[in-house]
Amino acid sequence: MAVPITIENLTKRFGERTVLDGINLRIEAGELFFLLGPSGCGKTTLLRAVAGLNEPEEGRILAGERDVTRVPPHQRDMGMVFQSYALWPHMTLRENVAFGLEMRKVKRADIRARVARALELVKLADRAEAKPNELSGGQQQRVALARALVIEPQCLLLDEPLSNLDAKLRLEMRGEIRRICKEAGLTAIYVTHDQKEALSIADRLAVLDQGRLLQIGTPREVYERPVSRFVAQFIGETTFVEGRVRSTGGGRAEVETAAGVWRASCAGAVAEGAKVWLSVRPEAVRLHAEGGADDNVFTARLHGSMYLGEVAQHLAELPGGVTLKALEARPRVVARDGEKAEARVVVAAEDVQVLTE
Amino acid sequence: MRARTAWLVFAGVTLLLGVLFFWPLGQVVSGGFWVDGRFTLRYLVGVFENPIYLEGLLNSLKIAVGTTGLALLVALPLAWIAHQFEFRGKAAWSSLVLVPMILPPFVGAIGFQQIFGAYGLVNTLLGLGPRDWLGGGQYAGVVLLQALALYPILYLNAVAALANIDPAMEEAAANLGSARWQRFRRITLPLMMPGLFAGGTLIFIWSFTELGTPLIMNYTRCAPVQVYDSLKEIGANPFPYALVSVMLAASVGLYAASRRLFGGRAHAMQSKASTPAAPRRLRGGRAALAALPFALVTGLALLPHLGVVLTSFATPGSWYQSVLPGAFTSANYVEALGHDMTVSSIRNSLLFASLAVGFDVVVGIAIAFVVVRSTIRLRGALDALAMIPLAVPGLVMAFGFLAVSSQLSNARWLADVDWWRRLVDVRTNPTLFLVLAYSVRRLPYMVRSAVAGLQQTSVTFEEAAANLGAPPARALWRVTLPLITANLIAGAMLTFAFSMLEVSDSLMLAQQAEYMPITKAIFELFQLLGTGKYVAAALGVWAMAFLTATLAGSSLLLGKKLGAIFRV
Repeated sequence: MAVPITIENLTKRFGERTVLDGINLRIEAGELFFLLGPSGCGKTTLLRAVAGLNEPEEGRILAGERDVTRVPPHQRDMGMVFQSYALWPHMTLRENVAFGLEMRKVKRADIRARVARALELVKLADRAEAKPNELSGGQQQRVALARALVIEPQCLLLDEPLSNLDAKLRLEMRGEIRRICKEAGLTAIYVTHDQKEALSIADRLAVLDQGRLLQIGTPREVYERPVSRFVAQFIGETTFVEGRVRSTGGGRAEVETAAGVWRASCAGAVAEGAKVWLSVRPEAVRLHAEGGADDNVFTARLHGSMYLGEVAQHLAELPGGVTLKALEARPRVVARDGEKAEARVVVAAEDVQVLTE
Repeated sequence: MRARTAWLVFAGVTLLLGVLFFWPLGQVVSGGFWVDGRFTLRYLVGVFENPIYLEGLLNSLKIAVGTTGLALLVALPLAWIAHQFEFRGKAAWSSLVLVPMILPPFVGAIGFQQIFGAYGLVNTLLGLGPRDWLGGGQYAGVVLLQALALYPILYLNAVAALANIDPAMEEAAANLGSARWQRFRRITLPLMMPGLFAGGTLIFIWSFTELGTPLIMNYTRCAPVQVYDSLKEIGANPFPYALVSVMLAASVGLYAASRRLFGGRAHAMQSKASTPAAPRRLRGGRAALAALPFALVTGLALLPHLGVVLTSFATPGSWYQSVLPGAFTSANYVEALGHDMTVSSIRNSLLFASLAVGFDVVVGIAIAFVVVRSTIRLRGALDALAMIPLAVPGLVMAFGFLAVSSQLSNARWLADVDWWRRLVDVRTNPTLFLVLAYSVRRLPYMVRSAVAGLQQTSVTFEEAAANLGAPPARALWRVTLPLITANLIAGAMLTFAFSMLEVSDSLMLAQQAEYMPITKAIFELFQLLGTGKYVAAALGVWAMAFLTATLAGSSLLLGKKLGAIFRV
């Protein structure tokens, strides 16, 4: 049975160091939720606290209505996929997958059937008698997943499950994991530092840094409306332009920068005269486009172009020494080495975010 | 591991080890300093004023220095060759060179005299007539025998130390223009020091207090033999207590000094080896040249034991002033098998060693778990406590156990209770104390094995088991123990083998023929006139064959990690 997971004011310290600092989070039943952040941000610690593999100093963790904060890990009923997979090398795949069911005193015949089904699900039914070290990394990853899923846990925990796989396999498994979670209706918490993984399959995600939650939202919200420079540059690429607010109103702000005045979108309240940063995503910078009333239009010199096949990446130098990264789909403009091409650069106000921190 | 469980195990094990170490040691010290209800230094001073005791201590010191130095001279070149070069048969040679470790030097001593004695093989072969090679006293013989039995400990430590050195360290020196020998002297040797000192300390303490070899070699003017000879008056005379206290202080002091000097690993490698070590490949004549030292050392070390084998097959009296025995017979084995003492001693040794293994496996796993898997503050202290037997000589422990036994069996209310006497009085039945003594002395090897196993086994395997619903005990049973089985078996086998050939405890604690273990039986047989020596040799050969098989098994299981067990 999938249950919601509620985390209240969770604080975890290792000696002097505070690794989790008052985390509050609610993960809905059946949701695929991502914890995202740079290494050392506390995301794995948070996951392990939910699994019961460490004990927080303060706060509570609820699985449904049940307070599990002090419940030992073996009584929590949360299937975990470890980063290293932690497949027991002395047991066959079948024995690995059957272990959790044996602990739950499931009947022998049922164990056999459920293990077979689980191995079927991850397409390894024919390797049931193999030992883990006879498998490739991708196969091991799938066994780890099967082992966690077969117990039909209240909540599935995934700790960077794809980090040991090569790029192509990673893409494939991403989709598989989402499919399996959704088919089983599982609540799942997925830890990763790979923003593409998070953006592509998360229902919602949380960005952590230094033990604090910076932002929670759907992938689209977090990507398009980051709350801070840290979030903006951690998720996707962006260029910051420093400036001061001239006026605000109607969800728009006018910001004075070295390159002139920008129209930008502004979600919260910003004081006039406040120092802010504009976040401009490379793909929002259009070259040689027609500018409308709500657009920012500049004349720029392009240089440092890189042709990447499906796109080209340019550095667009605006007046006042401001340089934007620009991504051009279906490349037309390719500046040669040392050559500086003139181009009209258009950025919609909607695509420019005002950030106060 | 939860903190509460860890503390519980910690408290239990500490209490147990505390009783097993400190009660006997306390008895030793108080016996020498606490006489007639008051503290006195009279006997301590007496030890140093008595020329006989003083000479014994000095002789033991000389034995220890000589043995350690000689072992170093033998082991270091071998380790260097093994590290620098790759040649045909290297794997075989580097295992063969370890074999002497398991052959008890005091058994070898029987054969040693046949070969190097005045009327032995060497003199006859060279046609030199009776000439004394060992300098009248048996000092040189004792040192040679012990060094040839103990050098493998240093060799294992040196090889492990060399393997831990990032090859880039030497490469950097070569890059800066340093030649092979210079590199060894200036870079490698200093980096090896912690390992060498660890092994050297073990050998020093071991040979300082070794009882069996001097006894068989009839080298009576050393402290361990003096202690042994005074056992009969243990109740009445405080001098042996004071003498043993001095030996205890010297050993513990040396051990502590070596730990302090090279605590843990002084030169911790900053990085993991970035390039694999690339030993130079030798072929043909050069390869043979590299193998030669191994062959020489192994041959020399096995020579005494070869002598034992020959003795065991010699017709009594036929090996005298001849190169080889004049006549061969298997009668010694027949007699050995028919001898009451022999058969019961084999049975006793198997029983005592098995019980000791059982004790050590359980306690060793518990300690290793707290040390590796818990985060409690005092886990390091527990690790250190379990290593104490390495610093405390077997002779001292045995003496302490003897004192404890005599104290317990004279307890006022229980002195006449039959089952109590059987349990605690070594003069009636030494089983309990022999098993405890064996267990305590071999515990460090078991703990080291188990710790190594746990450290190599990722904790996530246990976490995964807990995550899937296994309570701690079941996770231990189903996941952790199977994963470290090889280490446990290897540790158990070492414990078993060393218990089987334990000398000090066996000689001192077993006093009834009925309860004698193999080593004591060999010693008793050796002293019988007539065929005694030959029967003792036959029993010795049996024991060596048995131990070789056991240890070959454990080294197969543990592979190169065998070295890790013999580090301080």
